[in-house]
Amino acid sequence: MQRIAIAERDDWKSQAETLGFSFHTIDGAPYWDETACYRFTMQQIEDDIEDPSGVIETMCFDVVARAINDEEVLRKLAIPETFWDYIRASWMEQDRNLYGRLDLSYDGNGPAKLLEYNADTPTSLYETGAFQWVWLEQAMEREIIPPNCDQFNSIHETMVEAFRNLGIPGPLHLAACKGVDEDEGTVRYIEECAAQAGLKTNFLYLEDIGIDDAGRLTDMDDMTITTLFKLYPWEWVMRDEFGLALPKSGAKVIEPPWRAILSNKGLLPLLWEMFEGHPNLLPAYFADDPRANDLTGGYVRKPLLSREGSNIEMVRPGEETLSVDGPYGAEGSIIQALHPLPVFEGNHTVIGSWLVASKPCGMGIREDNSPITKDSSRFLPHVILD
Amino acid sequence: MKRSSTLTLALMSATALTLAACDNSEQAAIFENVEQCSSQDGFDTLSCETNLQLAQEEHIRAAPKYSSFADCEADFGAEQCEPAPQQSSSGGSIFMPLMMGYMMGNMLSGRSNVATQPLYRSRDDSKNFRTGDNQKVSGKTGISKVPAQVARAPSTKTSTIRRGGFGSSAKAASGGVRRSFGS
Repeated sequence: MQRIAIAERDDWKSQAETLGFSFHTIDGAPYWDETACYRFTMQQIEDDIEDPSGVIETMCFDVVARAINDEEVLRKLAIPETFWDYIRASWMEQDRNLYGRLDLSYDGNGPAKLLEYNADTPTSLYETGAFQWVWLEQAMEREIIPPNCDQFNSIHETMVEAFRNLGIPGPLHLAACKGVDEDEGTVRYIEECAAQAGLKTNFLYLEDIGIDDAGRLTDMDDMTITTLFKLYPWEWVMRDEFGLALPKSGAKVIEPPWRAILSNKGLLPLLWEMFEGHPNLLPAYFADDPRANDLTGGYVRKPLLSREGSNIEMVRPGEETLSVDGPYGAEGSIIQALHPLPVFEGNHTVIGSWLVASKPCGMGIREDNSPITKDSSRFLPHVILD
Repeated sequence: MKRSSTLTLALMSATALTLAACDNSEQAAIFENVEQCSSQDGFDTLSCETNLQLAQEEHIRAAPKYSSFADCEADFGAEQCEPAPQQSSSGGSIFMPLMMGYMMGNMLSGRSNVATQPLYRSRDDSKNFRTGDNQKVSGKTGISKVPAQVARAPSTKTSTIRRGGFGSSAKAASGGVRRSFGS
């Protein structure tokens, strides 16, 4: 694993605009960054990222299977009791999951360590699956990189295939919140994949979803919504007025309700409890667990429900404590052993390993100037070249 | 290959885009004449001439054929066509574009899967060389990477002299009664 400085394609910005990637620059700062790329060997990708991602997914399913029937666990995860039956039913009925991103700390050597699982509302799917792919083809064609490069990235094909296999009857409605460019871009891309799988799709804003007198969700044309893809976290759904109506609405939701167990940071101590010592896991405990005091080599405090690096506190032995402000943390938090991100040329680098329909199929890399990555962290492309 | 083989963006792109992964590419050498070829490092004049001759022979077979000179010029531009030595079945003239260059294997890379063949330039895309079966190759001369399907010898019209050379072993093995030869 190396970070290699390379030339930018001189027309990448205009291409980004044409290809629906409007959020390539955030508040004037680069988000898409092709002034460098990361190089991996095929063995690093297959042995250290791809295979472990599949193993982690399997362990996660074991956690869900245990949690849905364990009220103490559901309570620890701060999942409202009114939704327990709904979540349980979605697991028992095997409601299918679509996609998720494991965030891994990996420096090219040794096992990748799971930092968290974005199992509910992951973003950066488009830039990983599509724009990064286009970059690779063009960078080879323009001799910016050698012509025999590959990339761990069959996300697009796997998404289309997944939509073919999901068995969605009737139209698929897809919703993002108004005014959030990045989320809308992500949902538009997911709609693109669904349409290529032959599904009839209908994008609308979450705020525009209605409800009829029978408690069914409706779209802008007053048609009932039977399957809804929502880029909106389950913990927020569960607090919204229509969220409370959702279990009786008859609509299937993607990601399904049981994913709320995995997108919760409480997953990390649950994994450690069930699979203590697994090479891809870090020691982790609920904050009120006395064993949390054993993490003397530094730790990271994460709220059960936080997003994009908010409300993270990093306690490092012999160094100042880092923290990121934010609105989260009221539900409680977990403590995870410190495993700092590797630093390449002064950049802190995190690997996002993507699963589509539980199949590991791609990777995106984010960089930050700080040891805690955030929504503003830059996205850099990668290549596989032995 | 660890990546998608194609990518389509139809809804979210301003103009629908479909791209194929450039896999299985070959190192090919492209020249307009023997001088260009022999000045390339590692290429000797004799090989350059031999390959040009092979390409010229292939040109007769593989060039797109037209029954009208005007139709040929419409596709390849004014004064870019010539009469072909062939005649149509009714005895009429046949026309074909001028050969604008040729492709051969990279002599530095040893084993090569590149078929020596003529190259053309169409009127609507005159920057790029194209194969006899109208596949875009590259705009550059010298050594460059081309898609594998372009490097192969083009499929061209020919004449069949005999058929029926396949199938006799199967008939012998089965006595002609099996419905499938799959396993």
